[in-house]
Amino acid sequence: MLTEAVETGCDFKALVRQHQATVFSIALHFLRDRASAEEVAQEVFFSLHRNLARIETPAHAAAWLRKVAVQRAIDEGRRRSRRPQVALEDVAEPAAGVRPGDPLLSELLRKLVATLPEAPRMVMVLRYQEDLEPAEIAAALEMPVATVKSHLQRSLALLRGKLARRGIGESGWTG
Amino acid sequence: MDWLEDELRRALAREDAPDGLAERVMARRALAPSGAPRWLAAAAMVVVAVGAGGAWRQHQGNQAKQEVMLALRLASAPVQHIQSEIRGITQ
Repeated sequence: MLTEAVETGCDFKALVRQHQATVFSIALHFLRDRASAEEVAQEVFFSLHRNLARIETPAHAAAWLRKVAVQRAIDEGRRRSRRPQVALEDVAEPAAGVRPGDPLLSELLRKLVATLPEAPRMVMVLRYQEDLEPAEIAAALEMPVATVKSHLQRSLALLRGKLARRGIGESGWTG
Repeated sequence: MDWLEDELRRALAREDAPDGLAERVMARRALAPSGAPRWLAAAAMVVVAVGAGGAWRQHQGNQAKQEVMLALRLASAPVQHIQSEIRGITQ
């Protein structure tokens, strides 16, 4: 099956192409640095190559890559200690009023997510980038499902409050 | 669906990987050593070096032996010629 990839290299290349956006985006949204995200992605796929014989199915490959991408991104984040560089208070106001779907709102949300502590930040990335259920996030992060749900609720409440103070919300869009 | 969750899905949507990422990964893989442990690779290199050294010494020994044999043959040729001349005179 996938072990043949060790000999041919074809399946490995296909796996890289198939999952590169997922792996790169997990690192990018967590680290907010494209160069670091690419470095993490390369390390993840290099690790996949070394462990290819253990991969049993395409679904196993997808889950394995997601889990390793999460671990490597967190490790890189700790190494670079990026999180303290962005405090909630430092996040700039959008230059103009925002509407649903406005790129300025998306950028503001990415910055706000970047200010979250490590665990809730990765929970948010996996929930809203990968559309994973809490149980799947719990498996990827090796934490209880209840903790995942707690992180989601608290993070959403925090972001909602920060946006409301900027006049951004369902009942009062600016602009 | 909650409006904030909709916006988060939009903000955190997957992005395309940088151009050439797959190729860079494949190149890195090609440059990497095989799955064998480093100590095994080092041991293999030592074995090959020792074997090559032994073969070179054997080659040098064979060459020296051939040179000695050639010298002996050259040295013995005049002696054989003199012996045959003496045998002719005495007969």
